[in-house]
Amino acid sequence: MIKFKGVNKWFGKLHVLRDIDLHVSPGEVVVVCGPSGSGKSTLIRCINRLEKFQKGELFVDGTPLHDHSTNLTKLRAEIGFVFQQFHLYPHMTALQNVALAPINVRKMKRADAEALAHEKLARVGLADKADAHPTQLSGGQQQRVAIARGLAMSPKIMLFDEPTSALDPEMIGEVLDVMVKLASEGMTMCVVTHEMGFARQVAHRVIFMDEGSLVETGKPHDFFANPQTDRAAQFISKILTH
Amino acid sequence: MMLFYFQRLIEIYPFFLKGLWMTVAVSGISLVFGTIFGLVLGILRASGNKFFVAIIGVYVAVIRGTPFVVQIFIVFFILPEWGIQLDAFPAAIISLTILATAFICEIVAGGIKAVPNGQWEAAASSGLNIFQQLRYVIVPQSLQTILPPLVGQYVLLIKDSSVVSVIGVVELTRVGWVTVNRIPEGLMVFSLVGVLYFAISYPLIRLSNRLEKKMATQQVML
Amino acid sequence: MLEGFNFRVIWEYMPFFMEGLRNTFLISIVSLFLALIAGIIACACRLSPWRLVRGLSIAYIESIRSTPLLVQIYFLYFGLPTLGLRVPELQTGIIALMLNSGAYIAEIVRAGMTSVPNGQIEAGIASGLNYFQRMRFIILPQALGVTVPPLLGQAIVLFKDSALLSLISVMELTRVGQTLTSERFMPSEAFFTVAFLYLCIYFVLKSLADWSQKKLIFREAY
Repeated sequence: MIKFKGVNKWFGKLHVLRDIDLHVSPGEVVVVCGPSGSGKSTLIRCINRLEKFQKGELFVDGTPLHDHSTNLTKLRAEIGFVFQQFHLYPHMTALQNVALAPINVRKMKRADAEALAHEKLARVGLADKADAHPTQLSGGQQQRVAIARGLAMSPKIMLFDEPTSALDPEMIGEVLDVMVKLASEGMTMCVVTHEMGFARQVAHRVIFMDEGSLVETGKPHDFFANPQTDRAAQFISKILTH
Repeated sequence: MMLFYFQRLIEIYPFFLKGLWMTVAVSGISLVFGTIFGLVLGILRASGNKFFVAIIGVYVAVIRGTPFVVQIFIVFFILPEWGIQLDAFPAAIISLTILATAFICEIVAGGIKAVPNGQWEAAASSGLNIFQQLRYVIVPQSLQTILPPLVGQYVLLIKDSSVVSVIGVVELTRVGWVTVNRIPEGLMVFSLVGVLYFAISYPLIRLSNRLEKKMATQQVML
Repeated sequence: MLEGFNFRVIWEYMPFFMEGLRNTFLISIVSLFLALIAGIIACACRLSPWRLVRGLSIAYIESIRSTPLLVQIYFLYFGLPTLGLRVPELQTGIIALMLNSGAYIAEIVRAGMTSVPNGQIEAGIASGLNYFQRMRFIILPQALGVTVPPLLGQAIVLFKDSALLSLISVMELTRVGQTLTSERFMPSEAFFTVAFLYLCIYFVLKSLADWSQKKLIFREAY
């Protein structure tokens, strides 16, 4: 589904992705973790080309992303993206946020798109908040609307960039619940997160990154029980003691 | 022909320097007075005293609501009717000061109101009198909010000082107007005038932008 | 001090005042409309990826903002004829007002556009919206809310600035006052009436601007 082959990226002189090789199969849930500045956000932002990379090859669902002739808009419509800071459109209701892309990208009829948006909002447990503006919603609710917005395009892949890091602790659960449900339904997901409970419960694979390199990858249980590298061990002990 | 005029323009450059100096003098003096009066009126306006707030409010609205050129005409033509004889220069200073005071007092009042109420209470509880509260606690904090728009306002007022040319003060714009009657190259003459204004106001605009950016980062740090 | 105030003369000249007011109005509206177009174009150039286009628009905006409007008016009034262009006073004045306000409007519009957080634009990109859809659905609706109050502020400034066209003998409100002063030598009657009329319009525009600001703040807060 997603295939990185020797991908490299620089921000000016800073080498932020080093020789990334990674293969994600359909229906697989991959959790990406690592210290801040390790390049994990950059990695998943490459998958829908919010970031360009300078060297290497990246295929998403068979489409080459390193090829300049690729129709990015079409590709992005197939990938849902959930941001750390939600980035809902504050001038629109929850429903309008979700229905915007189906109407304008998929060219759906307004009524159909709104029915679809209602369905997606119900799926994240917010059927009653359709007419609320983002400022009237709690952080957890906003993030669930953002997930519904991603789902509205019936994506083949969902990407999550630290979806719970900006939330108060008591709201993290409601967002993770939605993500767990999504994973159990067979969605292909790449999740940058430090929620190790989530990783244990649903991830098929955990990837550990440090300084732009893919340091270690393994099944969640193995990764947490006996990490192969010192850097991973250090990182795990840090988050577990927190 | 153009070259000939250009040479004549260069010959009379001391005339332009005199105009530049007059612009700097008129706006400099008015800005000093305007800042002092504006500070006092701004503090009174922020005080919440109903009488002062009403009076100053009317003054500010009248000044902001009428064109400066009309205000100058009123000062220059009407004060003499009431027995106050004024030369052009003092009339210019008076009208520009009245204008500056109105705008500056609004900026000051806004800056003072932006200081949280708790600061007044804290200063009062440590036994400072009202002047000490202002001097040591409130004004230093509000300076952050006041300075960037204040410098921006200075630029606007320096540009407004060009209007005093209509009552015959020989500042930069008047110099241009007189010159263009002798050297009929409007683009050339007023480009020169514009460049000289640019030389005064552009550094101030940059300063105002820098202060604004600096203030934004300081707020984030708080 | 107003014992000698001659209301009869004001009444006698009322039709002239009204005509002046109407002209001031028309000049302001036409210039504002043209300035909006100029400002939007200048802003688009300012945000353009091409260096030359961006540089030109910065040069335009900065040179307007750092020189007085009166100098710009004289620049065109005395300068256009030297280029062999015979433009009547009224049109010259409108062009000057358009160029002047256009530069300020460009900055207002730019501030509005850049006020939309980058993350929302990324969210739009991520859901496959193209450039025009992002403009239409995400940036413009939000930028408009931030832009309208300062635009109304600029409209007030433009309306007052139009008084300067009296200095190139455009028959607007201030010019009517000057005419009355020279025909009858009654500056008090002339300029107090003129000031009063400007004030009336100012209050209408000001309450409109305040109202739009309140609506905006209300929307943000809730």
